[in-house]
Amino acid sequence: MRTFARSAVIAVAAVVLAVAAAACGSSSSSSGSATATIPLKAGENPSSEVLYGKKSGGTLTAYSSIDFEHLDPGQTYFALDYIVVPNITQRPLFTYPPNSTTQLVPDLATEIPTIANGGITDGGKTVTVHIQPNVRFSPPVNRAVTSADVAYGIERGANPNVANPYFAGYFGSASPSPLEGAESAKYAGGPIPGIQTPNSTTIVFHMTKPGSTTLINALSLATSSPVPESFAGPLDKHSPTTYGSQYLVATGPYMIQANNTTGQFAGIGYQTGKSLTLVRNPNWSASTYTSAYRPPAYLNQINVKIGGDATVAGLQVLKGSDSVQLDGATHTNVKLAYQSYPAQMTITPGVGTWYAALDNAHGVFTNVNLRKAFWAQLDRAAIVKVTGGPLVGEPMTHFIYPGNAGFLQAGGYPGPQVDYNKDVNGNHTVACKYMKLAGYPSCTYTGSQTVQVVGGTNGDFPAWTQVVNSGLQALGFHTHVSLVDQSVLYAKYCGVPKQEIDVCPNVGWIRDFADPLSILYVPFYGPAIVPTNNSNWGQVNIPQVNSAMEQAALVVDPAARAQAWANVDKLLVDYAVAAPEYFSNQPELMSSDVAGVNDQWNQGSWDFAFTSLKNP
Amino acid sequence: MSVGADLVLESEATVESVELVPDEVTARSPFQLFWRRFRSDRVAMASAIFIIVLIVVAIAAPLIVSVLGLPGPNVNNTNALDIFGSPSGPSVSHPFGVDELGRDVLSRTIYGARVSLVVGIFGTLIAAVVGTIVGLLSGFYRGWTDTLMMRTVDVFLSFPVLVLGLGIGAACGVRGCLSGLIQPGIATVIFIIALLSFTYIARIVRGQVLSLREKEFVEAARSLGASNTRILFREILPNLIAPLIVYSSLLIPTNILLEAALSFLGVGIRPPTASWGQMIADATPTFNTAWWYMVFPGAALLLTVLAFNLMGDGLLDALNPRGTRS
Repeated sequence: MRTFARSAVIAVAAVVLAVAAAACGSSSSSSGSATATIPLKAGENPSSEVLYGKKSGGTLTAYSSIDFEHLDPGQTYFALDYIVVPNITQRPLFTYPPNSTTQLVPDLATEIPTIANGGITDGGKTVTVHIQPNVRFSPPVNRAVTSADVAYGIERGANPNVANPYFAGYFGSASPSPLEGAESAKYAGGPIPGIQTPNSTTIVFHMTKPGSTTLINALSLATSSPVPESFAGPLDKHSPTTYGSQYLVATGPYMIQANNTTGQFAGIGYQTGKSLTLVRNPNWSASTYTSAYRPPAYLNQINVKIGGDATVAGLQVLKGSDSVQLDGATHTNVKLAYQSYPAQMTITPGVGTWYAALDNAHGVFTNVNLRKAFWAQLDRAAIVKVTGGPLVGEPMTHFIYPGNAGFLQAGGYPGPQVDYNKDVNGNHTVACKYMKLAGYPSCTYTGSQTVQVVGGTNGDFPAWTQVVNSGLQALGFHTHVSLVDQSVLYAKYCGVPKQEIDVCPNVGWIRDFADPLSILYVPFYGPAIVPTNNSNWGQVNIPQVNSAMEQAALVVDPAARAQAWANVDKLLVDYAVAAPEYFSNQPELMSSDVAGVNDQWNQGSWDFAFTSLKNP
Repeated sequence: MSVGADLVLESEATVESVELVPDEVTARSPFQLFWRRFRSDRVAMASAIFIIVLIVVAIAAPLIVSVLGLPGPNVNNTNALDIFGSPSGPSVSHPFGVDELGRDVLSRTIYGARVSLVVGIFGTLIAAVVGTIVGLLSGFYRGWTDTLMMRTVDVFLSFPVLVLGLGIGAACGVRGCLSGLIQPGIATVIFIIALLSFTYIARIVRGQVLSLREKEFVEAARSLGASNTRILFREILPNLIAPLIVYSSLLIPTNILLEAALSFLGVGIRPPTASWGQMIADATPTFNTAWWYMVFPGAALLLTVLAFNLMGDGLLDALNPRGTRS
């Protein structure tokens, strides 16, 4: 899943750090001077999040300098969108509770399929899921959700008008275990023989290979949310679909404010680039959940204010009331919050990676030695510094990030000990070696191509982009740097292969689910490249890597699977498919009267279904 | 007839009423008369000197930065940031402090002068050339030519300047426009400025031409068999020089501000090129903690715009035949 600001899991790190600073510092009660020795590791205490027993009511204001990209569950793949789509406005089959990154629980489903409960059969090639019987769509559909709605929600992902970014990778032609009938690259929507709905609450998935582990995990993504074909079908005939951009129905506790007769929300509950309003879904019931996951939905309404400056918004949140910031804290506010408002900042460690995507398919970076040269030259420590320092991240050294299976096997924090990876401050001597290998004996690029760099305008992205640009220029590349809103960066440039953007310095990835496959597969598996909404930004398509992924995807034993994906990670480093930047921790800000709960599985972003006001 | 002749006549008319001493009467060229008026305007002179110094600083920016012992404008130094990545303020090694990348603000302010002057002057120059041609043709030929050109100008004038700039900047910002003719960066900004500024020049020139084409010297030239081209460029155009100089000088600060505004809005000069507008934009979120990053480029922008405006006023006074200062 694409990240938006820094990186994902909650913690009360700031509180812990502040307490530690106060305890270890002088007799002064102020923690304001404790800036010289910030602990390098933010405190992680995910299980301590209190989820239930809070006050209901009130309206929360959420600020985001970044706009949403897709609100359609079939299209959304952006972490910011995930704050309002799965679990909030939509109910996927499975999910993770806010305080866990590993405990998959049922949301729309009644239980997690296992061999023991008969959910996994046919040697792992068939998965059966039962859904809650009394879940209802919001107006104007109003009726109860059926398994056919879940099937349509998945099948429409292959419709070019919907263009789900991971359908091919997890369900279709590029999947290691595709659904029967969807394995052809020509499949473009319509009923999939491999999905059957024997009754209104049962859906059965038949795969061509045993891939139940991956499939069940993938069914926690937003595309497993039910979509009523009677309502969305006509909208899906538009190119692109207007379901999710003009009209939408909800199954979660909240819905985007809409016309209850037509379902239109554009211009009502959502103003592009300005605001989004979430109100209670009148047809939602807490009784339609299992005990493992039951969102309390304390808030009456959430008003998201879009646009503006992230630093200014952060200040409003810290000094204001009833508000949170959605797109992470800038370095200025991290410092301010750490020093003066420690109880109002959460830092979620181990939430993802940020790297500079390099176009492997076009332009200068088709040359692997130029990619290695840039990797060696890039000052990763400087990027960490300009984005807020050690509280927000550590220099990245490979692609599986901390907290995931395969991280240690792939090298841990130091990463693979290849020369271009060793010095996180950038090493021109090593870069020079690879420039020479690339055919530039003067260590300076003397070709005629201009490197197109597209970075984000939000938060610390501009400064960060400059660090990347400096690395390119140090090697003699002529660059054109453009800055756009990060949602535009993904939707219009870096996520569209035909744009052939040479360097996307501000792209980040968080796992789709608790499996290293979901960290590496979609962003680096060649056959998963799609023409729009693409997440393989570098268009990496290396046969050896593809083959290794296909084999690793079928490994079942957890330890062997972790090792297999660690080996894939090492291959990616060997090919220098992208230039790593940092393993991120996500700082989030809230007002003093907000009892915030973060989704640790979604880069630590605020969970509206569990967050509440202390004095509503 | 030229504007210089006008000035000579007026000068003569001014001195007619005093008793003439033959030895003190000296012939003055139009330039001498202009210079005499202009140099008596101390504010305008001070502004002109400031602008000259600024131009010298802009041209010699690498030398000046080197002499001052400053790092280059794009040299990142994250050691100058604190552990949270916040920039440090003015010090001996960085008199204007550093920005969020540890880049020296004084160095960037000096280099920023280059962008402001290049964009301001070249943008205005292109606008003046295009506007003059449009105004000349429109005013001289009248009829459908006039209608077509002036309605086109009206269309351009009806666009909200910043919204149009934002639109063009956004459309051309990444890949360029017109098959790559308009590339991101300074060229795009100059294109936007020329597109938006030529309209004012065109209208002024058209008005002047409508008046001048009826003058006797034009009739005389026509009766002598002069072609339209000759009348336009040899008879009428020289009479437009004075108003063109005045309006262009006043347009330059407007265009410098427009560049700053576009850069501030993120559609102007591409990073890492130092631009005052871009620097101010970058500094805005951190103004409460890093005031130096906004104050110094802001002051440079303010002084430069003020200097161009004051010099423009001085030029207006000095070149205006009916001016009161002499």
